[in-house]
Amino acid sequence: MSEQWFERDPQWFKRAVFYEIHIRGFFDGNDDGSGDFRGLIDKLDYLQWLGVDCVWLLPMYQSPLKDGGYDIADFFTTHPDYGTVDDFKEFVDQAHQRGIRVIADLVMNHTSSEHPWFQESRTDPSGPKGDWYVWSDTDELYRDARIIFIDSEPSNWTFDPVRGQYYWHRFFHHQPDLNYENPEVQEAMLNVLRFWLDLGIDGFRLDAVPYLYEEDGTNCENLPRTHEYLKRVRAEVDARYPDRVLLAEANQWPEDVVAYMGDGDGDECHMAFHFPVMPRMFMAVRREDATPMYEILDRTPPIPRNAQWGLFLRNHDELTLEMVTDEERDYMYEEYAKDPRMKINLGIRRRLAPLLEGGRDEIELMHAILFSLPGSPVLYYGDEIGMGDNVYLGDRDGVRTPMQWTGDRNAGFSRADWAQLYLQPLMDPVYGYQSVNIEAQLRTPTSLLRWVHRFIALRKEHPVFGLGTYEPLRPENPRIFAHIRRWEEDIVLCVHNVARSAQAVELNLSDFDGMVPEEMLGRTRFPAIGELPYLLTFAPRGFFWFQLRKEH
Amino acid sequence: MDEQTLIDYVTRQRWYGSKSRTVLHAHVLDSVVLRTAEPQFALALVELGYETGSHDIYQLLYALRDGELELDGLDEPQLARELVSAMRSGLTLQGADGIVEFRPVEGFAGLGRELSEARPVGAEQSNTSIVFDDELILKAFRRLEAGINPELEILRFLTENGFANIAPLGGWYQYSGGPVGATLGILQEFVRGGVDGWDLALEEIGSAPDAFLARLRRLGAVTGTMHATLASDPNDPSFCPETPSVEALGLLTATVDEEIERMFVDLPDDDERIAPIFGRGEEVREQLRMLTHAGSAGKSIRTHGDYHLGQALWAGDDWVILDFEGEPARSLAERRRKRSPLRDVAGMLRSFAYAATVASVMRGADMPDGWEERAREQFLAGYFETIDPALLPSGQVAIERLLAVYELEKAVYELRYELDNRPEWVGIPVAGIQRLIEQAAATR
Repeated sequence: MSEQWFERDPQWFKRAVFYEIHIRGFFDGNDDGSGDFRGLIDKLDYLQWLGVDCVWLLPMYQSPLKDGGYDIADFFTTHPDYGTVDDFKEFVDQAHQRGIRVIADLVMNHTSSEHPWFQESRTDPSGPKGDWYVWSDTDELYRDARIIFIDSEPSNWTFDPVRGQYYWHRFFHHQPDLNYENPEVQEAMLNVLRFWLDLGIDGFRLDAVPYLYEEDGTNCENLPRTHEYLKRVRAEVDARYPDRVLLAEANQWPEDVVAYMGDGDGDECHMAFHFPVMPRMFMAVRREDATPMYEILDRTPPIPRNAQWGLFLRNHDELTLEMVTDEERDYMYEEYAKDPRMKINLGIRRRLAPLLEGGRDEIELMHAILFSLPGSPVLYYGDEIGMGDNVYLGDRDGVRTPMQWTGDRNAGFSRADWAQLYLQPLMDPVYGYQSVNIEAQLRTPTSLLRWVHRFIALRKEHPVFGLGTYEPLRPENPRIFAHIRRWEEDIVLCVHNVARSAQAVELNLSDFDGMVPEEMLGRTRFPAIGELPYLLTFAPRGFFWFQLRKEH
Repeated sequence: MDEQTLIDYVTRQRWYGSKSRTVLHAHVLDSVVLRTAEPQFALALVELGYETGSHDIYQLLYALRDGELELDGLDEPQLARELVSAMRSGLTLQGADGIVEFRPVEGFAGLGRELSEARPVGAEQSNTSIVFDDELILKAFRRLEAGINPELEILRFLTENGFANIAPLGGWYQYSGGPVGATLGILQEFVRGGVDGWDLALEEIGSAPDAFLARLRRLGAVTGTMHATLASDPNDPSFCPETPSVEALGLLTATVDEEIERMFVDLPDDDERIAPIFGRGEEVREQLRMLTHAGSAGKSIRTHGDYHLGQALWAGDDWVILDFEGEPARSLAERRRKRSPLRDVAGMLRSFAYAATVASVMRGADMPDGWEERAREQFLAGYFETIDPALLPSGQVAIERLLAVYELEKAVYELRYELDNRPEWVGIPVAGIQRLIEQAAATR
């Protein structure tokens, strides 16, 4: 029997809560020290309880793993550590049965240098794959393109002694860029998409989309032909695969990112990450000033009707500071990366809880702000229990340590020998698995995990957070981040105090004269709104969400 | 069939499940003709699309008489009989986008004879049932969900594995094709002269309490055998018992705890029926924490899923267990999920509380003291005689604790339901919750 687990719902992603999983770090289902699809299946009950609508898996493909799997050596097989394609399909089926959708990372821009396509291209320049990568006799072309991994790559060109030419790569030198000028490459990548969509996957997070095409005299980002190709991908998805989602990773300013959602009602990616909002949330909390948040949201253009922002506090990468000014970056480094080991490229490689010094009020406040913004929140595994990081591990491994399930051996992550684990779980006295783990937090009604769970449920009860307008209030007190969300009859007032001290604020709510604010977590009714400014007081880092109700 | 006719018809039915949603469109996805001679009979899958962009699929059975459309086809005995005879002959009908398969169960004697009378019986939330000659009962599922219906799946499994206390399965029909793959209906032997456990309880609690207690002991034994049978095939992935994940008990605790918390926030403060538990939410939560402290969860198996006295039929000499569809409000995947068998047990024990109160308070039956307590003891004694202990948490204390957690979950659910729907019944779950608090006080 064919099995379709979902009602048709083309806009599901606009109301969804996403949850990002590093497969290797989630749960080891076959006792080999490394997380896998079997392990994901074992933990579906947890994910269902948590209330997430969609799981985003980091790259799961065959790969030499020189860049966490973003260096794909075969698009049609999974990495053997994670299991087989059949195991993956089983996971997707079982997730669907629990009402959870699954999207996966896909890198379209480049492959691993170990990919047979590249090997063929370098050894047989006149052969069928000879033109599948960007080759040049010199390293002079595209000089206006910036280098992204400035810590490790001196140039975007690397000389290949085998072919005797330079090849183009926007990321690591072992990740040659595919040549999208070649129609066969365009078609090959569509085949990759079709393969996984046919297996039932609900979409992709498209890694590094701004860089598909190159053109001399430009910075080689966001080029019109890149958009043209993405429109072609979207048309293919719309025609054959309803209710799937394409989520663009384009670490750019919002005005550029909006272009990745396409024209009209949206004809490129359904979603795109809003990168610059995230560092500004941290900045606001540290500076005790909500101005950076108001500003970046003011700077965010409207998006197509059927599109949505993806919002996050932290993810598997560094807290990126590409989309801030130099001055702001210095400030962020100074405040959040006191140890130089915490920096990487243009960012800070730390998890949410350590960034906020483990402050429970701060963690709750940041979640509240995130969940109140127009967009779909994307949570990072482990942040729901306040997991820490290990800055002594290389690259970004420090934020990719095993999920801390229990206080038992190996954090309940694996039954393999300690030494066999892909990374050892955190053991420090503050964030180590004996003090921070899911089992303990499930049983403790006041735990962060239980709070996050209730908060996810609250957000999901109100489609207004996914579908509604964003109307900033900007009260005189700059320490207060206040705005209205509105969708049909549902009106929500979100007010957050980003200061370390108690605050009072007067809000001009005269548009809502006569309505009664009902606090959403405890359902307490507050005094009715009148014509005078509405006074609210806040505990340090406190926040209120109100539903504005018509008085009967 | 024009669209408006379809919408009007479907949305008027008792089995129409989305009464609060606005229907934007309706169309026939596929249909097959069951009978070509006049009057014609046909079966159609109809999709209703809602404003929200979502949709439902319903099964329609209709007749064409002299070109006139009669949508209430199942009221037509002739049409209903047509479905049975299609099963008898193992018919496969080709639609435009899929097939409808009618299948008999090998060796089922009830299909051999001609049927004369057909009468519709109690319309349910999601299906329609027809009884033929007091011999057979056909249940047609109206709102279709992808996948096998648990009722068919479990009846087939229990039949194959020799569990005798069900009404034997006679046949079924299903659709497989582009739009959906789903069970459309099942045929079972009709249990003649059966009295359901609820009615029997109300009758006998006052008049023959001890006789009824003996019946409950038997019901416990039947339930234990049912669970042991459901867990008996390690090679069938849909039925093999599973060990719940380490956090299973934690997840259950968290879920119930939050339900209690929300419930107590919502309790009206001026209802004296609630007085025994009012303001005691923290005590209940404390009790829950004690119950789930370092316990084990036993095995997860396929269960009945919606177990209470009304699902057991006393057929003169023994119990017959009915209705394996699970809770109709849950999704099909959810209903097929494996769970602790104690969840079924808790459901049954809670229905004893209801029966006791209804019999004594509402019907004025002269109920012996401590009847509910003895009913529980009898049922559990019967249950532990037949259940495979490997399916339960290890040790009597752990079993009682997990059972209490499920009872608490159920009682909290009941309390919410009664407050919203039947305020005069509120006292029943209140007493159940109070009992748990007081038990805790007694053991401290």
